[in-house]
Amino acid sequence: MASIRLTRRPRHPVVFGVLLVISVLMVLPFAELILSSLRSANTVHEDTWLPSVFEWSNYKQVVTLIPFGRYARNSAVLATLFSILTTLSSAVVGYGFARLRGPGKNILFGLLISTMMVPQIVTLIPTYLLFAQFGLVGTYWPWVLWGIAGAPYAIFLYRQFFSSFPKELEEAAVIDGAGRIRIFVTIFLPLSRPLLVTAFVLAFNTVWGDFIAPNLLLDESNTTLAVGVSQGYVIQQGFQLSNLLAGGAMLYLVPVVVLFLAAQRSYVRGFVNSGLK
Amino acid sequence: MRPLSVRRRLLGGRGGSKGEALAFYGFLSPWIVGTAALTLYPVGYAVYLSFTGWDGISVFKPWVGLANYREVLTSPDTLSSLSKTLLLVAIVVPTTIIGSLVLAILLNERVRGRTVFRTMIYIPAIVPPVAASLIWKVVFDQDSGAANRFLAIFGVDAVSWLTGNHAFVVLIVVLLWAVGAGIIINLAALQTVPADQLEAVKLDGGGPLTAFRHVTLPAISPVLLFQTVLTTITTLQTFVPALLLSPIGAGNATGTYTNIPNANRVYMVDVYSQFFAYSRYGFGSAMLVVFFVVIVALTVVIFKLVGRSVFYAVDPTESRKG
Repeated sequence: MASIRLTRRPRHPVVFGVLLVISVLMVLPFAELILSSLRSANTVHEDTWLPSVFEWSNYKQVVTLIPFGRYARNSAVLATLFSILTTLSSAVVGYGFARLRGPGKNILFGLLISTMMVPQIVTLIPTYLLFAQFGLVGTYWPWVLWGIAGAPYAIFLYRQFFSSFPKELEEAAVIDGAGRIRIFVTIFLPLSRPLLVTAFVLAFNTVWGDFIAPNLLLDESNTTLAVGVSQGYVIQQGFQLSNLLAGGAMLYLVPVVVLFLAAQRSYVRGFVNSGLK
Repeated sequence: MRPLSVRRRLLGGRGGSKGEALAFYGFLSPWIVGTAALTLYPVGYAVYLSFTGWDGISVFKPWVGLANYREVLTSPDTLSSLSKTLLLVAIVVPTTIIGSLVLAILLNERVRGRTVFRTMIYIPAIVPPVAASLIWKVVFDQDSGAANRFLAIFGVDAVSWLTGNHAFVVLIVVLLWAVGAGIIINLAALQTVPADQLEAVKLDGGGPLTAFRHVTLPAISPVLLFQTVLTTITTLQTFVPALLLSPIGAGNATGTYTNIPNANRVYMVDVYSQFFAYSRYGFGSAMLVVFFVVIVALTVVIFKLVGRSVFYAVDPTESRKG
């Protein structure tokens, strides 16, 4: 269909101006965070927008006043562990939903879609009680189990993706006598690389950003950066040194933003492609 | 012979062969076992606990029937946390939906630097709730925060933002900062608006507002409706910002809940306090079950109203409130 090509629209100085103002407002808190993190303890109260001295040594305190390195390593280990497991497990389950048939498939698929909307916050406390019964509180086992269970949304994405391939893809392999597992590992898994990346990044961000589960399930010695930073740098009555808190939040945030900017393209495409058809 | 058996293995005849069914369940087993143990069982366990007066420690879990539910629906404390949550929804949801639609429409125009603007507006939406809370905690710090420095320009005295009723304003700001979360799905939706109809309105002498009302809005309304329900669900769950904006208490999981200013004691804060500050596991479970029923009801509403096609396009990272 020859749709009418809209004539080149005129420039929109007003739209440009509005977008510019909003964009700057949206990222201004980041700038303030960086500036706050560089104020020295004596000058945090000064009323200038730029600190009179840039106290770079704050960052030394940020990483030494709390066991920052250990928390960061815990976060990285936990997020990587969970992300690898959930990415692979979701691919396996998604393949099952896409290419295989069995009794009760529709019911199970309905269940998958339903669980997509069950908020973690509802199941977390009763799950915590379950983990407590098995002595898993204070360990990383909950994340291993959550990882193996797969993530409904990722399973759904894989299912959509694997459904799009023609039957012939498997037929040849079956003639060669390959089993389901080999077909999955040698044909489908390599094809899904872009999706693997998206699912991994999403899962990593989820664990890195999670506060509630580590706060509930882990303790001082093995907790994550999210918990460590947000509860650190305390002076009295729970009030925190705002310049150090800013520095801690800054360092905590850097990996998330870098990962997003690096994966932005495939990340955005993944969502848009999966729906609206 | 061979091709036929191959066909059978692949298509599983009409109803699926035994071998294929086995493979199907084999591939699904991690998820089936995981969901049963980590989603279905916990929900069932919470339902059971909600009929008891368990304190979280005793071996004995006294049966109390519907007493917990009666209290959830009548106790002034619960109704107070519920009304705060609903107020939060009433403010945050319309602002987010309209805001992200306006932003998407602006970003849909051919302006210079559009990609950069899109990234800048979207970035706050990927900031984890923990970091967002800490950033605004720093900005609204009474002594050294930018908010009070700004007010000082107009001669306004320093405001104690993180205590009393002001804390609720900061909570709203944290949630609204993620307004860009919806722009990606909105931009995708705007691409589905029929260009020929837009052109037709133009030829008939209609202005951009007419085109918006009669062409754009009907085309994207399922997406808007979907986002409204989803944002409502996530806003109802608001917890981490309410927790982290306040001064932190002694101890980790237990002491934290008592320092939250009354204005920010939203429903989920109330739930966690019942469990971990007051050891009322039975009552807390009843609160969770009531909340769960509301979420399920809202989810059913989405399905009925907009169908699955839009549902699938959801962005799971839109969970600032988690």
